[in-house]
Amino acid sequence: MTFEILSTPVNSPASLIFQQCLAEVDPENRSLNSAMNEVGGYFLENAETSPLSNELWNKVLNQTKNKTSVPQINEKHDPLLSQLPLTLRSHLRNKNINWKSFKDVKVASILPKYNNEKLELIHVMPGAKIPQHTHEGNESFLVLHGSYSDEYGDYKQGSVQVRSDDHNHTPVGDAKTGCIGLAYTHGKIKFSGKFGKLLNLIAN
Amino acid sequence: MERLMVKVKNPFVEALQNIAERQDIGSFKKIFDYFGPRLKSFLMKSGADDAVAEEIIQETMTIIWTKADYYDPSVASPSTWIYTIARNKKIDILRKTRKAVLEDIETAILPPVESKADENIEHDQKFEMVAQYLDDLPKDQLDLLKMNFFEEKSHGEIADITKIPLGTVKSRIRLALEKIRGKLEQDGSMVNLNNDGGSKVN
Repeated sequence: MTFEILSTPVNSPASLIFQQCLAEVDPENRSLNSAMNEVGGYFLENAETSPLSNELWNKVLNQTKNKTSVPQINEKHDPLLSQLPLTLRSHLRNKNINWKSFKDVKVASILPKYNNEKLELIHVMPGAKIPQHTHEGNESFLVLHGSYSDEYGDYKQGSVQVRSDDHNHTPVGDAKTGCIGLAYTHGKIKFSGKFGKLLNLIAN
Repeated sequence: MERLMVKVKNPFVEALQNIAERQDIGSFKKIFDYFGPRLKSFLMKSGADDAVAEEIIQETMTIIWTKADYYDPSVASPSTWIYTIARNKKIDILRKTRKAVLEDIETAILPPVESKADENIEHDQKFEMVAQYLDDLPKDQLDLLKMNFFEEKSHGEIADITKIPLGTVKSRIRLALEKIRGKLEQDGSMVNLNNDGGSKVN
């Protein structure tokens, strides 16, 4: 599954951030992603050329005139941020994370909704349970920290699961570590349990 | 094309270092002259029109200028770094032209860097080995990689175009990538040995 996701061309900021996080969380993924980027670089280096307009160089010079090389910024220490991939840390560096709390489960949007896509951080406290639900359209969930389990298995850091309409599941955060994950979704979440209607109203 | 397997410093590594260290315009122009026209054909092949392609090149060059010190020669070759920036910038700009909600994702589009390399270590050779491997691949296999990672087509689209079964498309691409990964890592372990206990000398 990882290979499929990493080699699918990205076409939106959400898919780009998700792919970069996936590449980062596991050394295997990272090296596979490096290999893919090297292939892209190889073709760029050997690409045909298309003539540039005459004024482009001056435009570039103008735009860079008063800019100098910017040193890397050291972020403020935040215990949660330090557990996230560099891609997310740098994306969130100057932003407030607006967590919405649903009891022991916290959800924060990472990018504004674009087309039908959502990118969210999900923080499941140790032992907490997300009520039974399915996903309209696909959800790709990447475990960034800790682990969780559901009716289908146990998932540790660096693993990715793709869920669709026919996966009715009840994720539970690991009793010791809880779980932080990145959810990339193309549709609404649909709760199916006792309080399903109410939860659907709150969550979507 | 035969590549010389000798240690010749990639001129663009030096150019990027000159930009980072002393804002050298000559090095910047060298990168623009070589990569500008190539980026344009890449961007136009993957869906940008003339004006948008040049806008993306302009933004890419600005990132190269301001973030040259992020470039780490042990992580990627210069062309790979530039390719990654342009591809990511394209996603950002195409989204804006589609009149979506504007949001600053500037920092997110930068390829992440974890550590600065020891500048005394020669990394060019592992990237040369990758290029040599690709040079030697049969054309039909190279074309699959080109469609996937340069023309940005999905495995399904590639299977449709080439009439090769989807499973075969995937396994061929995967096999080539595993070989390339092996070459990148092989050299990496040697670099680590050489680098054992070494510290950066300024």
